[in-house]
Amino acid sequence: MSRADQILKEIKTLSSTTPDVEAAAVIDNDGLMIASALGADMDDDAVAAMGAALLGLGERSASELTRGDFEMVMIRGGDGYLMLVRSGHDSVLCVLTSRNAKLGLIFLDVSRAAKEVGRLLG
Amino acid sequence: MNSMQSDTLRPQLGDFNSIICFKAAVVGVEEALGERAARVALISAGRKRGVALVESLGLTGQGADLQVAAAQLGAALGVDGTRLCNVERIVQEGENIRVIVSDTVCMAGEPQGSTRECSFTLGAVHGALEALTGRKLRGKHVESRWRGDADDVFEFTSRV
Repeated sequence: MSRADQILKEIKTLSSTTPDVEAAAVIDNDGLMIASALGADMDDDAVAAMGAALLGLGERSASELTRGDFEMVMIRGGDGYLMLVRSGHDSVLCVLTSRNAKLGLIFLDVSRAAKEVGRLLG
Repeated sequence: MNSMQSDTLRPQLGDFNSIICFKAAVVGVEEALGERAARVALISAGRKRGVALVESLGLTGQGADLQVAAAQLGAALGVDGTRLCNVERIVQEGENIRVIVSDTVCMAGEPQGSTRECSFTLGAVHGALEALTGRKLRGKHVESRWRGDADDVFEFTSRV
């Protein structure tokens, strides 16, 4: 199995085994999609660019506003959450959840998945 | 002042503006959003521009004859085109594609030793190559005249 397939399998597992995780993707620092398990109605290129830019902005904000080491960008909308976490030096894990997601459980699973993606990307 | 021909986008000033304003926009966005977020935004904008350019030339999916691609991109982006940069040549090295450019808008006015990397120009070439070849690529500004290299080189590799 190729590295891309392994990463895709990892994020599909996250989506299928963690309650309320609806979609996930792995993006590189330049805003290019590495692996996508997003819905067919989502534009991979647009999600990748938004995700990488938001993560960059989040890291800068945490630093400039003296909030310590960056951990996560989280956005809450009326229909759910968007989470962005680092999955290695050069990549970002993007996760979409439903509105009623149990965040504690999801944080744990997202953190584990991010570490695994980082390991696969070397 | 005479008005420009009707096929220009601006009736009086014409379609070109100073590189000073473009660089001010880039540096201003970097200061507002941080280098990383600005870089993503500019690369993304460049990629869209490159794809649109290839579409407008009717070359989408025309294959990977890199000499032809260099001539076409050079004509569209160079001195007789939009003047984004000169595309000197494009060469294949194994699986990688190297694009040798000069006079890029991104590096204009940079002091010797500058660590700046092209973002919008890199993205435009990136988008154009993806549209021409149909390959999903990752691009990087790997050599720079501002850092002692002989040429400015963008290198494109296949994504994971």
